[in-house]
Formats: sequence, structure tokens, C-alpha cells
Amino acid sequence: MEIEELQAAWLQMSTELKKQKKLTDDIILSMTKEKYQNKFKKISTYEAIGAIVCFSVALLVLIKFKSLDTWYLKICGLLTLTFLIVLPVLILKTLNKLKMIDISKGSYKENLSQFLKTKNRLLILQKLAIGTGFFGLFFIVPVATKIISNKDVFLTSLKTEQIVAIGVALIFVYFVSKGAYKGYKRLTLSAQELLKDLE
Amino acid sequence: MSKETVFTNLIREHQALLYKVTSVYTDNKQDQEDLFQEVVYQLWKYFDSFRQDSKITTWMYRVAMNTAITHLKKKKRRPDVLPIAEVLIKQIDSIDEVYEERLRLLYKHLHHLNTLDKGLIFLLLEGKSYNEIAVITGLQSSNVGTRISRIKKKLRTNMTKN
Repeated sequence: MEIEELQAAWLQMSTELKKQKKLTDDIILSMTKEKYQNKFKKISTYEAIGAIVCFSVALLVLIKFKSLDTWYLKICGLLTLTFLIVLPVLILKTLNKLKMIDISKGSYKENLSQFLKTKNRLLILQKLAIGTGFFGLFFIVPVATKIISNKDVFLTSLKTEQIVAIGVALIFVYFVSKGAYKGYKRLTLSAQELLKDLE
Repeated sequence: MSKETVFTNLIREHQALLYKVTSVYTDNKQDQEDLFQEVVYQLWKYFDSFRQDSKITTWMYRVAMNTAITHLKKKKRRPDVLPIAEVLIKQIDSIDEVYEERLRLLYKHLHHLNTLDKGLIFLLLEGKSYNEIAVITGLQSSNVGTRISRIKKKLRTNMTKN
């Protein structure tokens, strides 16, 4: 098969499609309503809900911060607060930047480049969130245990089954995080390659 | 004539153009329909900003292609979705098997290209000159030529492999 044959198929398809007039004025006008422009809104809503949950938990940690009565629990508390506030803010900011791309003004090249750069940033943040999420277990669990049941996990002697359960959970989270991280890495690489090609 | 009437006439007249853009950037019926609706929405949103200094179709190509690249794909892969080439084949009357096969191959190869190459080859298939492609994509005319030769080579290699 030659490229010219593909072009001929495209031309034939174009001619056939031109003959079809399926859209009515009502259908077109209904498409101009905002209800169709909901993809970013959906993602932003999910992220916003996630951020609200994070901020609420952060507020609770702040209110109960005094109950973190040792230096190491205070450090864990500060790390938890950073994790719960900084990452959601950065992700929301990047999503907003994606939403702000003015498709009516820039050229295809400019918009593609801007889109890839922002998407890349979003992927890096998501990778960071996964990595931090895994290590986060080591500082979030002590803070949560102290706030909820006033116990210092660093001083509590664990039963064998508890140690096994924690071990299994850590292995599980490790493999899930590794898989997700690999997926994001592949996506970031392909976006970077295309960006390089554009420059 | 009201703005709505001018707009609906424009979309009706150029629906084939929009259909083709959206079919190049998606691989199944549902995504294509979603993108089509989003493109119409964006065209309406920016309709007032269209300046008469360029052809209306050039502006439509630009908005449609820019919408397509920023349109987020659905992550879920549904096994029951109809591939876009099959959707097109079903839509068109009086077709023959050779043509159907060519269309399938065309879309198969198009979907293997990266976003930039896909846009360039789409405009070439639409019969646009290198200068027109340069205006729409923002690339330099000479750069368009070089890139298109490279894509053609890539396509030829892929077609020989299959």
C-alpha cells in the first residue's frame, strides 16, 4: 500500500462525508451549551474534593498539634501538614494552568508545547505524590495514632500479627506505588520526547 | 441574520471537516462524539474573536486541532467500543472492500503517529499546501516540508512492515 492510495481513500471519505448533513440547528445549538465542556471541570472537581479532604485533615492536625508531645511526633506532624497542603495546592494550580490554555489564540505548535509542558509538570507532581504517599505512611501513621487514640507508636510494642500486617501493607503499597510510578514515568518520557521534537 | 443562525450554518456546512479532525484524534465512537461536542462548544465560545483576516476554515482547523490536543482522553479502555475506522465505514454508503481496507489501514497508521505528526499529516491529507499548514500549525514552511517527508518515510516503513 502506498501513501497515494491512503490519500485517495481519504479523499473518497471526505466526498462521502460532505454529502451527509446529519446535524440539525437544534443539535448544534445544544452543543454550544456549557454542559458539554465538562472534562476539565470533572477532573478539577475530583481534585478539588480531594484537596478539601486533605485541607480538612490538615486543619484537624493543626488543631490537635499540641497533642504531638515529643520532638519526633512534632516533626511527623509538620511533614504530614506539608504533604496535606503543598501537593494538593500545586496539583490544583497546574490543573488550572491546563484549563487556561487559550486555544483560540496560539498556533497548534504553541498550544501543543504549552499543553505538554503543563501536563509534564502534572505528571511529575503525581509521581511525587505517589512516592511521598509511600514514605508518608512512616509519618502519617504515628500522627494519626497519636491524635485518634493518644498512643505513641514509636513507644508501643507491637504484637507479631501487627508486625506481619504492617509488613504486608508496606509490601502491597510498595508494589502499587511502583506500578503507578512506572506508568507515570512512561507518560512523562513520551511527553518529553515530543517536546524535544517541537523545540 | 442572528449570530446563532450564522454559526449553525457554518457548522452544518463544515461538519465533515469537524468530523474528520475529531476522528483523527480519537480511536472510538464515544470519544469522537465527546470531542466533536467540545470542538463545537469551543468554536461557539470563540466565535466573536474570529477576525476576517484569515479564512474561516483556517480558523476552524486551528480551534478544532487545538481543542483536540488539550482534550483529555478517557483512561478506561472499554472492550466493547467500536474502532473509529469502523464507525466511518458504517456511516458511508456505497463503499467497496478495497476502500474499507484502505480506510482501516489509514486510521491504524494515523493513530500510531505522535500528536504533532498526526496534525501535519491530517492537514496534508486535507489537501493543504505547506504554507497553509505553516499558518495553522505555527511551524515554518520549510520545517513543514522536512517534517512531512520524515513522516511519509515513517508511514512507508510501517506499511511495508505490515
